[in-house]
Amino acid sequence: MTKPGPRRTSPPDAPDLFDAPGAPPRPRAPRRREDSPHAGDGGSPESAISVSTLTRTAKDIVEGAFPPLWVRGEVTNFSPHRNGHWYFSLRDSMARVRCVMWATDARRLPAPPDDGMQVSALGRMSVYPAHGEMHLIVMALEASGDGLWRKALDQSIKRLTAEGLLDPTRKRRVCAHPQRIAVVTSPDGAALRDIIAVVKRRCPIVEIVVVPARVQGDGAARELVAAIRRVSRWRDVDTVIVGRGGGSREDLWVFNDERVARALAACAIPTISAVGHEVDVSLCDLVADLRAATPSAAAEAAVPVLADVRARLATRAVDLRVALERRAMRARRQFEETAHDMRDALERLTARRRARLEIAAGRLDALSPLATLGRGYALASDEDGRTLTNAAQFERGRAFRLRLRDGQVGARTESTSSDVAPQPRPTER
Amino acid sequence: MSYEEDLARIEAIVAELGRDDVALDRALALFEEGVERLRSASTALERAEARVRVLIERADGTFELGHFDG
Repeated sequence: MTKPGPRRTSPPDAPDLFDAPGAPPRPRAPRRREDSPHAGDGGSPESAISVSTLTRTAKDIVEGAFPPLWVRGEVTNFSPHRNGHWYFSLRDSMARVRCVMWATDARRLPAPPDDGMQVSALGRMSVYPAHGEMHLIVMALEASGDGLWRKALDQSIKRLTAEGLLDPTRKRRVCAHPQRIAVVTSPDGAALRDIIAVVKRRCPIVEIVVVPARVQGDGAARELVAAIRRVSRWRDVDTVIVGRGGGSREDLWVFNDERVARALAACAIPTISAVGHEVDVSLCDLVADLRAATPSAAAEAAVPVLADVRARLATRAVDLRVALERRAMRARRQFEETAHDMRDALERLTARRRARLEIAAGRLDALSPLATLGRGYALASDEDGRTLTNAAQFERGRAFRLRLRDGQVGARTESTSSDVAPQPRPTER
Repeated sequence: MSYEEDLARIEAIVAELGRDDVALDRALALFEEGVERLRSASTALERAEARVRVLIERADGTFELGHFDG
């Protein structure tokens, strides 16, 4: 915090300012007081000035003599009033001065100082006329080592941690191929320009939806909370970027506001924080699903490079074809193996049958009367093919057939004689 | 169907096609689906250049996208 606030006059003559600090400061135009001492006044008992003239004169002189100054010291007797004004003293080992910080200035600080805290205060020296006491009207206050900011942030982190809102397992995956992203930021800020430029360069098919909110100054936290909630209700978007470009710590402080962080944690859409700062991590960074150091970096995290996506898709097309070809090749190989197996089986079966056939043929050959015929015998049969085995079957003049090794002969019985006693003739059928 | 879903499905299909136990008719069906998904994803990437819009919430709580003057 470096800028002094607007010049503000000291509190008017409200009695008991420090004892009953409810009286608001009433701005008052500088004026020539009727009871200001004139030259020579107070030089004698007769021209004695009033106490109030003295203290008012002292006030004018003191206020005129000191420009706003940074004063360092230790805070003691810190006492915030319910109307927002802060009363305290600054001291070192030798001295102490009463201080007041009006609510309008105190509100800009992230947290009140603690007693014992070493601070630097930017203030205007003044005199409270009713008490004749000097006091420092503090417009800005910095604790050494970012004390106040750190203190407020630490308290918020502690609360959010206790509620589990900073748990790493809460982090959602940010959509890798969004169709639409929302940007919660100032509509005329550098952050939005940067984000639009990066998205148009990397992936111009992604739609950007601006959700306007002030990102610094009074009301910024309220507007950011409202904008984040609006996106969360809308839902018709893949990713939300919340942020702003770089600035002073005071400018960026709204992103350490617990209300903003809570709205971000409750957002239904995955969030990317993009607060333009290098060193510090804001509360919103801790709560967001993804933290980017700058708005440009957030845009790069939010959208892919379109050419890369197209290349990846082309690779997938090849993958798909290759996968099918492999599967088809496997099928063909399986088919060939099966066909081969079948052929083998068939051949084995055929060979076995042929072998059996040959054996049977050999046996048949051995039993065959044809073999006997080969040795010069003949077989006689009648017209019906019945074999004639007895002489008695050969009736005189009857035709019969003789089967020889290489053919048949038609014959007729001339005569018969029997070598043995006549057998009973077989029954004629 | 978003590009993201299409791409995830294509990758799942490629993985399943690579398995030993996938039946041939199933493999063919998967391939056909994969080709369809590729077409859908490609179409998504050929969208026209998007505009910058501004989110407007109406009084009744519905939303519209307005023209943004950057």
